[in-house]
Amino acid sequence: MLLLYVLLAEWLFFYVAGTTTNRRGVIVGFGTLDRQFDILRHSCEIGLLALALTPVIITAGIDLSIGSLLGLCAILFGKLWHDGGLPIPAAAGLTLVLGAVAGGLNATLITALRLPPLIVTLGTYSLFRGLAEAITHGSITYTDFPESFLFVGQERLLGLPTQAWIFFAVALAVGLLVHRTTFGRAFRTIGLAPEGARYAGLPVGRRLALVYVLAGLIAAIAAIIYTARLGQAKADAGTGYELFAITAVVLGGTSIFGGTGSIPGTLLGVAAIAVLKNGLACLPVVMAMNAAEEMSGLLTGALLLLALTASVLPKILSNFRASRHAPAT
Amino acid sequence: MPPAPLLALHQLVKNYGGVRALRGVDFNLHAGEVHALLGENGAGKSTLIKVVTGAHQPNGGTITLAGQCVADLTPATARALGIACIYQQPALFPDLTVAENLALRLESTSAASRIDWAARRARAKELLARIGAEISPEAEVSSLSMPEQQLVEIACALGSGARIVIMDEPTASLTQKEQHLLFAVVRDLRKNGVGVIYISHRLEEIFALADRVTVLRDGQSVGTHAVSDIDEAGLIRLMVGREVAQIYPAAESAPGHAVALSLRDVGCHVSGVRNVSFEVRAGEIFGLGGLVGAGRTELARILFGLTPADSGEITLHGQPLTLRSPQDAVAHGIAYVPEDRRRHGVVLALPIAHNMTMAIHRRFFPTTWLRFGAERTLALDFIRDLAVKCSGPDAPGSSLSGGNQQKVSLARWLATKPKLLILDEPTQGVDVGAKSEIHKIVRRLAKEGLAVILISSDLPEVIGMSDRIGVMGGGTLRAILPGGSDPHDVMAAALGTTGKSAA
Repeated sequence: MLLLYVLLAEWLFFYVAGTTTNRRGVIVGFGTLDRQFDILRHSCEIGLLALALTPVIITAGIDLSIGSLLGLCAILFGKLWHDGGLPIPAAAGLTLVLGAVAGGLNATLITALRLPPLIVTLGTYSLFRGLAEAITHGSITYTDFPESFLFVGQERLLGLPTQAWIFFAVALAVGLLVHRTTFGRAFRTIGLAPEGARYAGLPVGRRLALVYVLAGLIAAIAAIIYTARLGQAKADAGTGYELFAITAVVLGGTSIFGGTGSIPGTLLGVAAIAVLKNGLACLPVVMAMNAAEEMSGLLTGALLLLALTASVLPKILSNFRASRHAPAT
Repeated sequence: MPPAPLLALHQLVKNYGGVRALRGVDFNLHAGEVHALLGENGAGKSTLIKVVTGAHQPNGGTITLAGQCVADLTPATARALGIACIYQQPALFPDLTVAENLALRLESTSAASRIDWAARRARAKELLARIGAEISPEAEVSSLSMPEQQLVEIACALGSGARIVIMDEPTASLTQKEQHLLFAVVRDLRKNGVGVIYISHRLEEIFALADRVTVLRDGQSVGTHAVSDIDEAGLIRLMVGREVAQIYPAAESAPGHAVALSLRDVGCHVSGVRNVSFEVRAGEIFGLGGLVGAGRTELARILFGLTPADSGEITLHGQPLTLRSPQDAVAHGIAYVPEDRRRHGVVLALPIAHNMTMAIHRRFFPTTWLRFGAERTLALDFIRDLAVKCSGPDAPGSSLSGGNQQKVSLARWLATKPKLLILDEPTQGVDVGAKSEIHKIVRRLAKEGLAVILISSDLPEVIGMSDRIGVMGGGTLRAILPGGSDPHDVMAAALGTTGKSAA
């Protein structure tokens, strides 16, 4: 709930401070509808990764590899279409399968070999990026995609950026999975008490495997949208996205220790980061200093730390009061 | 006027939430005395230790150390005042050497000071020699056996110059030879004027070692006697305090003849269970008695697929079972209410309703979509049925008392409509009222035809509740006795001796 107010305040601030009129009397900057759509368009990929990560983090796991997997999937998609001669839908379909398979690699290492997710995905983080670079020899970029494909990333459908519809569809699907099915129940239980879940007869290994495979699948979706938005598939696609996605998830109230978290929260977290990043770029001061990137990194970090502090503050305060008013024995 | 006792507890009270763990305990310990503390599980022994070692603050009463009343005892001040405790599970750092572990507890140096390795080793060697332990100070703790680790703990207590040493079931995992070594150490401590509080379930140890014995029951001290003034029967009377038949609901019907569960030569290498054979009939409560570490929980884990058996046959209602995972066990109608309910039995952070449907996801939510209304109804039914005291189905498990958590754990498994129910220490740490309610529920379930395996370290419970009692020891079934047997026979079988019942 707190985050919703933060988001509103943030948005209002940029609306006031980031909207200006140019010499010809046209409104430019944050307050324009075009800019708002732009924010939405740019948050789809990180948003998808955040959606992929929410179930993972609810099980008390982590997936650092999804940003790299985005890059690998973008390259695979480009190669399948460009070098493999597959039609776009077939290439996209195959890319989704490959993304799920890559997630399956994480899942296998984590559930079958019982290795810690942090280490496993740190390994595949390098592995996937390395594969992408090996395939392209670090130089090839796939371009010249057909107009019909670029429509997904650059045009509007029913008034909204096309990819936003995909993003919302995935959000709905993951939201239902997490909040309305026994799968989500199992994710939470595993996050809170992995041993307890086992003693309740829950298929802990299979459920854990599912969240990582799903993460791989969603990363592949994000890769295709990324390629369509930029019109090119390159090996460094999505570099560092996993950290923004983790930030959005944690900002959205999902506990990094597992057990609690929600998809609406993650969506708010994604929005809070996207608005901050884009809003800063509209501020005259920041534009004058040409420091939008640096400022957004700094403020995103500050926002995260503030949100974390705010979430534990009530508990600390009540503990403090309790210790001061403890009856003498 | 004799000298003031080393330690005197007066009217000590400790409550955990609504559970009154200690309700006015008087206890005193003199220098050069071994004072045994005896009581059933849940009588308040562990709580007493926690209060004396400063781990928990009492809610009332006084603690007097050598004539000085101490308030606000913390673990640090307790240690400084010369109180040392040796727990059942040694709390050493496994990757450090014996000498380093001793140094961590005994040396007080600043970060900048240099470590005198030679002195450190010499001291470790001297302390270990004093208790006659043949352990190298250079050995890593992880390479030591459990009893050896216990000896290191004792060396530690010695080294800290403790005047009061508390030993919590120190012989639970010791061999005969190691026990004798330990006894020698305890006698040596006594000779040097140390007061020893000795907790044990083994009566013969108490007679061999202790000077006085205090019996705790339901959080109260029910008597302190010199061991020369009392015999085993007297102690058991004090511990139990009431006739077995009066407190356990009687079986209303004899179990049927249909065999529900049958085990033949079941064993598991990893968990040390071997050659276990018995049958449980439908409607029968089959008790599993024995000492801690006898292999009862390990057997239950085999039956629940947690550590699969690697030999023998398990059949349920004539059908041979392969149990490789808890899902297998659940699918075949086996339910296991685990011993550690806070870690395994109930997910404390989740609502009661979620906990109750946790084992029936597949059957209760066949489409995988959650049915919140139906779940709530089911939870309300169980809450009423088992008389769970809670604010509602949405209350988290952590808001419940131990007994009510246990009922939630039980409800989860009853919801699976099992054919075999395994209860592992179902009333451990549960207050007396909830305990008798749980007993009634178990009786009722058996009457309805459920086969029940009841694992309990509470001797009167296992004797009073069971139709037959399987006594385990050393990973195998040592004897099968009829329900209502003499506690001494059960204990003798558990110890593997042929001890006759003491009059």
